[in-house]
Amino acid sequence: MDTAVLIQSGLTAPILVPLIGALLAFVIRRWASPIGLLSVAALLGAVILQVPELIADGPQRLAVGGWGAPLGVDLYADGLSIAMLLMTAVVGLGISLYAAACFRGTPARGQAFWPLWLLLLTALNALFLSADIFNLYVTLEILGLSAVALTAIVGGADALVGAMRYLLVSLLGSLAYLLGVALLYHAYGTVDIALLAERIDAEPAAWAAMGLMSAGLMLKTALFPLHFWLPPAHASAAAPVSAALSALVVKGSFYLLVRFWVELFGEIAGGVATLLGLLGAAAILWGSIQALVQTRLKLLIAYSTVAQIGYLFLAFPLAVGSGIMAWSGVLYLALSHALAKAAMFLVAGNLLRFGGHDRIADLDRVVQRLPLSMAAFALAGVSIMGLPPSGGFVGKWLLLESALTQGRWGWAIVIILGGVLAATYVFKVVGYAFTQSENPHQAQPVPATMEWVAFALAVAAVLMGLIVSQPLALFEIGNPFRIRTELAAP
Amino acid sequence: MGLGARAGHLLLIGLLVSIFGGLALAVLSLPSESPGLSAQVEAAMADTGVTHPVTAVLLDFRGYDTLLEMVVLLLALASVWSLAEGSPFADRRPGTMLDRLSRLYAPLMVMVAGYLLWAGSASSGGAFQAGTVLGAAGVVLTLTGWRLPIALAGWPLRLILVSGVLVFILVGLVSLFFGAVWLDYPLEWSGALILLIEAIASLSIGATLAALFLGGRPEEHP
Repeated sequence: MDTAVLIQSGLTAPILVPLIGALLAFVIRRWASPIGLLSVAALLGAVILQVPELIADGPQRLAVGGWGAPLGVDLYADGLSIAMLLMTAVVGLGISLYAAACFRGTPARGQAFWPLWLLLLTALNALFLSADIFNLYVTLEILGLSAVALTAIVGGADALVGAMRYLLVSLLGSLAYLLGVALLYHAYGTVDIALLAERIDAEPAAWAAMGLMSAGLMLKTALFPLHFWLPPAHASAAAPVSAALSALVVKGSFYLLVRFWVELFGEIAGGVATLLGLLGAAAILWGSIQALVQTRLKLLIAYSTVAQIGYLFLAFPLAVGSGIMAWSGVLYLALSHALAKAAMFLVAGNLLRFGGHDRIADLDRVVQRLPLSMAAFALAGVSIMGLPPSGGFVGKWLLLESALTQGRWGWAIVIILGGVLAATYVFKVVGYAFTQSENPHQAQPVPATMEWVAFALAVAAVLMGLIVSQPLALFEIGNPFRIRTELAAP
Repeated sequence: MGLGARAGHLLLIGLLVSIFGGLALAVLSLPSESPGLSAQVEAAMADTGVTHPVTAVLLDFRGYDTLLEMVVLLLALASVWSLAEGSPFADRRPGTMLDRLSRLYAPLMVMVAGYLLWAGSASSGGAFQAGTVLGAAGVVLTLTGWRLPIALAGWPLRLILVSGVLVFILVGLVSLFFGAVWLDYPLEWSGALILLIEAIASLSIGATLAALFLGGRPEEHP
């Protein structure tokens, strides 16, 4: 064996570990839960092992099958991919621990959950590592299909209707994306991102491909006004699934939008950046107001996701003038949103199990009876609102700073307004948690693991605000945002 | 229909027509002859161990894509099983005609599948085609009332279902012992390894398709 090749092949581990885990969990149903937990723990280890290598040697490229682009498929990892992989592994481990406790009483549901969940992780990791737009289509297919199946496993009319709509939207998005891939391949004779970046030109085929692929991915990311499918799907799924959908799955297609924007479409896009920003701003306001008027906790959290996705799109117009600061800001927001939103949905799951409902008005002094869960909700809320010290604060601060240094007040006002609205809907929930309800209910016990996992994820979202320099340095490895430093130098 | 709804429909129609027009314009602007990668595929054929370019692309150049596509198939079945409780096909007695014909067809279909698999290395054919014929044989047998013995319907069936993906991964890992990256088959073994992957893959694709037709997990009777 060749040690160098072996180390290089370590790049496939984040894909192969959960994939093999999924196969084993599918065959050995009885042991699905321990197999799943072990795989996700191993996945976290495999991703962490990649970090020192990346810091020492810069971005990694691996030609799977030994052919290399354009004949073969390349894997590529830089700071951006590793940050997304770390986010997936950490949040994934939390969700896995929660799911193991959550499905203990319903083994059949748990046995169905594990293979699908491990395949979802496989697809996400393969997506973050791929450098080939056709290979990315296959990962999007696995991601969409596993997410839909996971939405449906809880059963019941709401979940099935939500899942069905999610399936149709997901397929439509994939088809639009695939049509774009076909156009690019026909025009430029390659599906490798780096080669396409050299060859792409401002012409109708490239514009059409940009429109199709961006529209497909925006549909999958649920950017306003294409968010209509998200609240019913995310709110009706089982708690660990809701957490995975909101925290991780929408980030996959967002990651691709950023990648394609930086590598392929940014130069030929013209005024599209402003359009994306405006849709993002509309998402922030509309999502927050919808969250505010919801009477069910899970729907409130789902609409909060719609709003937080809006923030991610503010980077497109702001990056034009400020470069890495805007991108780092939204990346920071994406990572801390993953932690905080997973925590919130897991808390919602705890409350649902505890009281048998998630009506906000009937939370009935839950703060005294499930203090850990409510503390988790409040901490996650701190990050979602963007209060210091939290990851959400750092992200919003960077965005705000890049808006203010360019004197673009409109964007700055939207950023602040979204924060105020978020504070209002978080406090609405916290407020009802203190008051006594008119309809008291029988309480069911909640396993300690389910409370502690939600708490740990929320604490991690806050801690993201204290370790700012390391993540920011990680994002810059391999210059994923193609910042031209020689222009900035005096 | 209200005025608002009608205006909405007109707006939607206008939007769709303009999207379609834009796409048509983009497609018409493309050169009719695309260079593609066929010249490079031809040049690299000698290093693949197979002689048909489609097989080379599917199993060698872009074997990783094919592996993920087999995962999609398995995922589809896992999704169906997560929804359905047992198969809707209760035991039934087939008519004489169907019974006799299926006895005739089933072995023939297995033979056709084997031929398609073997032919794939030199001409059109291969694991997916062979798997589809196997799957069809499974559907015919299911319709005539044949059931998998209960002892095989549990983990042995599930092992066959995942074996296509599993063997693909493991064969890829063999490359590491030859100092090559994952899925880079050593040249002298390449043809044999590809045939091994394809043989197992057609079996598992066939089983997956037949199981998809069956509906729920066969060990659970409704």
